[in-house]
Formats: sequence, structure tokens, C-alpha cells
Amino acid sequence: MSTVDTEAALVRVQRETFSIDEEIDRVRNRSTRIGGIATFLGTARDRSDDRDVSRITFEYYEGMAQKKLREIRERALQDFDVIEVLILHRYGEIDIGENIVLIVVGAMHRADAFKACKWCIDELKQITPIWKCEQTPDGQVWVEQHP
Amino acid sequence: MIVTVKLFGMLKAQLHNQSELKVPLEQGGRVDDLIAAIQAMNPEVGDLLLKRKILVSVNHEIAHGETELAGSDEIALLPPFSGGSWTPGRMPADVYR
Repeated sequence: MSTVDTEAALVRVQRETFSIDEEIDRVRNRSTRIGGIATFLGTARDRSDDRDVSRITFEYYEGMAQKKLREIRERALQDFDVIEVLILHRYGEIDIGENIVLIVVGAMHRADAFKACKWCIDELKQITPIWKCEQTPDGQVWVEQHP
Repeated sequence: MIVTVKLFGMLKAQLHNQSELKVPLEQGGRVDDLIAAIQAMNPEVGDLLLKRKILVSVNHEIAHGETELAGSDEIALLPPFSGGSWTPGRMPADVYR
């Protein structure tokens, strides 16, 4: 697989759901030096700001979102002692309980994997042009911020 | 020149589900001129731009007021992201290590 193909597989914005096992294997298979893999999985919850939520829709800025996710992966590889990073985010309508976002970080040691994984999801939420619209009993609500 | 400005999220809903705006600007116009033109078209959105609640991106990067625009630029108005707002002084990677 070329570098471009590899990056395309490791940084994705897609409508369909994903297999966590397959994505972990994608990272695991990158190097036999990996001794620890940390993951963050974001899922759709049914409650937000004291409102019931029945469904979530994600919109993203095609091109810029992928660019920002690639930058996050590259900075994580550069700034942390990790071997591989995968970042995956879904868009479109997502039912309660379904997968939304996945970060997988492979490193020689767990501490580096955990730190980089937390940094990646925090950074993703700060700089990636993705918008969340929650369907509530009061109608649709565009979410501006979550910790 | 006329620049095309992409709209997303709540902003699109606020502007009658339009996915883009066409904005006439003088040749060599800057982001600040674009904001002034939008302010004239829609003061509510213009105020959000002036308060930097909505950011302007040019060719997939956040732009400053002085950024000069060309008709071929890909321009977008970005309402607050679902995970938080764009903060220039955000947490650097070394804090996490």
C-alpha cells in the first residue's frame, strides 16, 4: 500500500458504521513494535442538556474536515512517542447507541498511547469542521459545544 | 468579482437552507470586506462574524480579516463546531505528555 493509500485508510470521514476490531487491526498490523493500543469510541447518547435526543445528524465540511484530521494524525505522530494513529468520523443520520467517532493509537507503551489518544479526540473537537444536530422533542438543535 | 461562500450547520438553517451565498466584492477585496458585505445583507449573521462566533475559512484554513480574496478561492462561513469553538491558544500537545 502506498503512503497515500495508507493515510486514506487511517483518516476517514464516512457515512457507514465501522468495525472496531477491523480498525484496531488496521493499526496493529502497521508494526510489530506496537505493545499497547488505546482507543476512544464516541457513541450517540439519548440525552443532552436536559433534553431527550432521539437521533443525531452530523454535517461536515468536505475537504477541510479531512485536512484537519490528517493534520491531527501527523501532529500526534510527530509530538508523541507513538507508532500509528487512526482517526475515523461518521456523518449523516446516526441512531442512538451507534458509533460516531473512533481514535486508535498504537505505541510501544500504554502511557504514550493513552496521552496521544486523549489529545487527538480533544483536538478533533476543537479544530475539525463537523456540526452536530440533535433531534429533540422541541425540534432540531444544533449543538455548539460539549466538554 | 463575485465570491461564493459555503454555509454549514445552523447558519444554513438560519439562511433558509441555502448551501451558499454569492457575494459581490471589489477586486482585491479582503475578508473584512466580505464580512461588511454580509453584514449589509444579513445583520444578524454579520454580527456573529464580527464577534467571531462564526469564522471565515479560505481554502480550508481559518482566515484573518486582512486575508485578500480571489474569485477562485473556496470560502466558507463556519459556525461553532460541535465539539467547541476554534481557540488560537488551545492546549498544546506538550501539556499532555
